[in-house]
Amino acid sequence: MVVEILFYAFAAVLVGAAVGLITSRNPVHSALFLVLAFFTSAAIWLMLDAEFLALLLVVVYVGAVMVLFLFVVMMLDINVEELRRGFTRYAPLGAVVAFIMVVEIINVVWVRKLGLELAQAAPPLPVDYSNTEALGRVLYTDYVYPFEIAAVILLVAIIAAIVLTMRHRPGLKIQNVASQVAVRRQDRVRVVPMESVRRPAQDERAAGEEGETP
Amino acid sequence: MITLYHVLALSGVLFALSVAGIFLNRKNVILLLMCIELMLLSVNFNFIAFSRFLGDIGGQVFVFFILTVAAAESAIGLAILVVLFRQRRSINVEELNTMKG
Amino acid sequence: MTLADLNLQPTYAEIFVLGAACFILLLDLFLSERWRGLAATLSLATLVGAALITAFVSGVDVRVTAFNGMYVADPMGDLLKLFAYAAVGVSLLYSREYLAQRQLLRGEYYVLVLLALLGIMVIVSANSLLTIFLGIELMSLSLYALVAFNRESGVAAEAAMKYFVLGAIASGTLLYGISIVYGVTGTFSLDELAYVLRQGDVDNIGLLFGLAFIVVGVAFKFGAVPFHMWIPDVYHGAPTTVTLFLGSVPKIASFALAFRVLAYGLGGAQEAWTDMLTVLAVLSIVLGNVVAIAQTNIKRMLAYSTISHVGFILLGILAGTNEGYRAALYYTLVYVVMAVGSFGMILLLSRKGFEAEELDDFKGLNARSPWFAAVMLMFMFSTAGVPPFVGFFAKLYVIMAVIDQGMLWLAVVAVLFSVVGAFYYIRVVKLMYFDEPQDTSPLMAGASMRLVLSLNGLAVLVLGLMPGGLVDAVARALP
Repeated sequence: MVVEILFYAFAAVLVGAAVGLITSRNPVHSALFLVLAFFTSAAIWLMLDAEFLALLLVVVYVGAVMVLFLFVVMMLDINVEELRRGFTRYAPLGAVVAFIMVVEIINVVWVRKLGLELAQAAPPLPVDYSNTEALGRVLYTDYVYPFEIAAVILLVAIIAAIVLTMRHRPGLKIQNVASQVAVRRQDRVRVVPMESVRRPAQDERAAGEEGETP
Repeated sequence: MITLYHVLALSGVLFALSVAGIFLNRKNVILLLMCIELMLLSVNFNFIAFSRFLGDIGGQVFVFFILTVAAAESAIGLAILVVLFRQRRSINVEELNTMKG
Repeated sequence: MTLADLNLQPTYAEIFVLGAACFILLLDLFLSERWRGLAATLSLATLVGAALITAFVSGVDVRVTAFNGMYVADPMGDLLKLFAYAAVGVSLLYSREYLAQRQLLRGEYYVLVLLALLGIMVIVSANSLLTIFLGIELMSLSLYALVAFNRESGVAAEAAMKYFVLGAIASGTLLYGISIVYGVTGTFSLDELAYVLRQGDVDNIGLLFGLAFIVVGVAFKFGAVPFHMWIPDVYHGAPTTVTLFLGSVPKIASFALAFRVLAYGLGGAQEAWTDMLTVLAVLSIVLGNVVAIAQTNIKRMLAYSTISHVGFILLGILAGTNEGYRAALYYTLVYVVMAVGSFGMILLLSRKGFEAEELDDFKGLNARSPWFAAVMLMFMFSTAGVPPFVGFFAKLYVIMAVIDQGMLWLAVVAVLFSVVGAFYYIRVVKLMYFDEPQDTSPLMAGASMRLVLSLNGLAVLVLGLMPGGLVDAVARALP
């Protein structure tokens, strides 16, 4: 009973967050709604005994991908109002599409049960079951080929992101730590021996001029 | 008791919402990217539910790879978005009409 | 489990291409401006090496699997890979001067091309829905980056964004379908899937539901109508060298995708997907040929022409017989040869600061260079399906396969709209021979490009006059 209540609660928050995501007026709000959706999804995944993926979703998705999204949203100076115009024009179409898809999908997976006769309850797991261990056992053995391809995909993402966005602008100011450390005193400070004679009249005049400049 | 069909229905609703979001936010590229993330999330729900109810770890491994690929995909998508913004000063898809035919 | 269990020998070509791409990526960091061309040379050497490995080291006569059944090597895969190496090699040869003139000749371009090729090889040899998905993503992500490669071009960024968004939606749809099929059958190994479907009840509502999503995903990747929206804009907006690559080699992957997933893995549900593919094929042939007539930009015209050719490839697949698959494979290979050549002609006419993208740029080509006007004429006639060029035989085999299955009306539609399509190819020929040139400067291309493009044009003629060799190769690949 408790499990059911929790599931319905998280599912309601999740669907609410998804609706907020697609209708929000501000991309930052949308990104935060997506973060909420990821957190509630992680909770439901925990209830489905997928602990490792639930944590991965929070750490990788919320921790890295969504932060990247927020960075880009903040970095680009997006004119929000301009983007919202025309939203209502597509709203009926979107609602109709969503409604038809929901009806179709619910019909197939809920009413007609996908034509499957899977057990109502999930098969019980052994007492000492460790989700992380179960994944780890197959990931580097049975799935070593997909694992290697995934590594190459990440390499492509790195190359593409750098190729597309890195610019060598003229006049870019970069810190050069090595030359900062290697600097010697005589490069920076020149001791000028001066006479220690005071000329009060000039000092006052200089102070007066400084005060006037804004 | 949560059955397989509870999770599948939830995932179906999320998938439909993501498609509706793509229709609604046709002008705003960054929201399109987020809707795509939502779509992949709904797929992940399917895989995890099937994996649990079939008692087969393969579905969870698939989710592992979807998460990896989706992260790479958003990195490239956002990189293209930045390039586009530098050219246009806008991410409005409706202004993306240089090409016609 | 030991390393020997993985049976790595059939995968040496993939490992070699990956290693070479990483080597080029690292080497390029240390090269000065003067040595920029080295990455291009090394990439060509990589393709030659991979071809030698596929032909002599890891080539197979019978179907073998590797990596715990995730990878499959068979004669069809070897043939597709050899064609892919050749097409990538020729496209890189055509591209070099264009890239150098536009300050795009950078090592990363070649690395991304090689990694996209690796993705295509993964798809060609995939034996699991998981590797299919990862191969598609590897190829697509590299292609998105290539389309946006020219950062100074606003059109390219726009094309890349459209391609990216629609490609990602396609991946999502495909994945949703895969997840349902996994749930219904309990596996994503194509071998087991084929086995389960032969045993069980294929009228299962869940299976059909998943299948529909998979077909939509595949159609998106093929660019079949009504999922073709990205093709004209991407072909138009991308740098011409990328259009050349994008318009040719990935079609090999699309064919492999359709063959491995639909014809092999989901072969048991053939009746269901035949109907879906029929709609896609007819719409593609009709819309592609009709809309192409209205285009003034040659890249867009060739894009719509691609859509109609995709319709023909699907026509061969939906016949669902071995003859049909052979015809589709033959059509794919022939299409790649013709597409590489046609886009190569655009590169031949463009020069520093000038893109020969408009149809008008082809006016009076005969006066400027009779030989290359003849080469373009061969490409256009072949693409239109005029005998004795090879494109005619490709269309003929597909139509014969369809008629064998009793789908006469499909054959009639295909022939009718091919005739409509012939109009815009012949218009290009008319522009070249009967109009006054707008641009009288001599062609600037170097000797290697002229030589390879001439050979490419002759290949279209020779393959048409002597179709036996390629037909035999295709028959060996799909016994």
